[in-house]
Amino acid sequence: MKKFFILLIISIQFGGIAQEANDILSKVVTKLNTVNDYTVTATVKANVPMIKILPSKATIYFKQKDKFKVVSKGIVILPKQGFTEINTFLANKKSYLAVAGDTTKISGVLTKLITVIPNGESSDIILAKLWIDTKRSVIMKSQITTKSNGSVATTYSYGDNVTYGLPSQLVFEIDVKAFKLPKSVAADINKSTVEKKTKPNNKGVITISLTDYKVNTGLSDAVFTKKK
Amino acid sequence: MLLKNTYNEFIKILSKPRSYLGIGALTLLVGIIIFAMKADGRSIISFVTSSFEQTLTFNGDVLNGNLIAFIILQMLIVHIPLLVALVTGDLISGEAAMGTIRMLATKPISRTNIVLSKFIAGAMYTLFLTLWLGFFALFVSRQIFGTGDLIVLNSDGLVILQDADVLWRFGLGFCVAFLALLTVSTLSIALSAFAENSIGPIVSTMAIIILFTIIGSLDVTVFDNIKPFLFTTHMASWRSFFEDPVPFSSIIQSIIILVVHNIVLVAIAVYKFNKKDITS
Repeated sequence: MKKFFILLIISIQFGGIAQEANDILSKVVTKLNTVNDYTVTATVKANVPMIKILPSKATIYFKQKDKFKVVSKGIVILPKQGFTEINTFLANKKSYLAVAGDTTKISGVLTKLITVIPNGESSDIILAKLWIDTKRSVIMKSQITTKSNGSVATTYSYGDNVTYGLPSQLVFEIDVKAFKLPKSVAADINKSTVEKKTKPNNKGVITISLTDYKVNTGLSDAVFTKKK
Repeated sequence: MLLKNTYNEFIKILSKPRSYLGIGALTLLVGIIIFAMKADGRSIISFVTSSFEQTLTFNGDVLNGNLIAFIILQMLIVHIPLLVALVTGDLISGEAAMGTIRMLATKPISRTNIVLSKFIAGAMYTLFLTLWLGFFALFVSRQIFGTGDLIVLNSDGLVILQDADVLWRFGLGFCVAFLALLTVSTLSIALSAFAENSIGPIVSTMAIIILFTIIGSLDVTVFDNIKPFLFTTHMASWRSFFEDPVPFSSIIQSIIILVVHNIVLVAIAVYKFNKKDITS
């Protein structure tokens, strides 16, 4: 009888934690769903080991539920994941289990950690940790681990479009696996490689500043299909 | 007299069919590379970027005229020395083989000026070849593929240069590439002063380039002291203009070494030609 009560208390407690997490996530998703489409100008600064690139500009187009396109005059480097995956993943409530964790301050804002674990094995996401500002119902930080691309940590800053849950800056911290350069193409044969055996920095940081949002303008599907 | 003789020497170069062989070969090779890039350029680019694309995406037009021009330069700059030596290696020894060297020496011009005029004519041919390559590589590629940021793969990673920041690099890169090819031209003229037939200086020039390139690429400490003084070490200096930041000090050092090579080789050619027995 005693054991039954202990189990009952634990399950009520855990159920409460899961319910709390689901409520918080639900508010975040609801906020994100108020955005049907947007266009935004992005300034991308990439500080990635073995890549030298100056800050570059691009225009990002997004339309629910997962249409996403980047258009730029020059070359822009972006993380392979982290823009729309989590929004799409969170939209389907049945596909994951959410657990609430500790509260932490991020950039002076009190956040609640929500750990999201997918129910099935088909999802590319293995684990997602989201630090959510419960007052504004926006994600302040995320750490997403996927099968295909390892781990990406993203820090969010918000400006005028916080009402839509759209960030003004994203800072991606990515795991850079040891890039291998094809030697036949790196044809600087006279340069010795011996001097470059320094310990590789395997963290890359990509900062994306987002300005001039145009939200819910009724973006046409053709934008996502036509070539640049 | 030097200018008149230089003009005559240039006319002689133009009158030889082999002079057009290089231009024809360059045009054909550039055409083939452009065709290959148009047909299957994306897969070649992904071969370079695939390692990065596990984590990152490259947005924008990666396959553009600037990249094609860079690839063409990188591929062909290795082969152009042969095309240069094919013509310049024949300038003195060809005259000896045909017997016209005696008639040339009877002209009211010093032997030193004869060698200098051949050197200048050879330099003009080399310059024309470099400009021809530049025109096709850069102008035609940019017309066909359009412009855009340039991705350069160096031994220490990728450098992405903005479109507006590329043309001056190509310009200066071509200048240094010309100086490197001029060194090949001068070497073959110097060797030509020692020979009585055309094949010897041409083959010897290529053999020296191959030998020096192999020594330069071997990571063996015993060669470390001589590597900086081999002209082949500095033949790829044009590539340094596509690094960020541009290592100007090492480029200037390369230019000095190439210029010194040219001066020494011309001096050797002049000395040898002045001593040459043309009566037997």
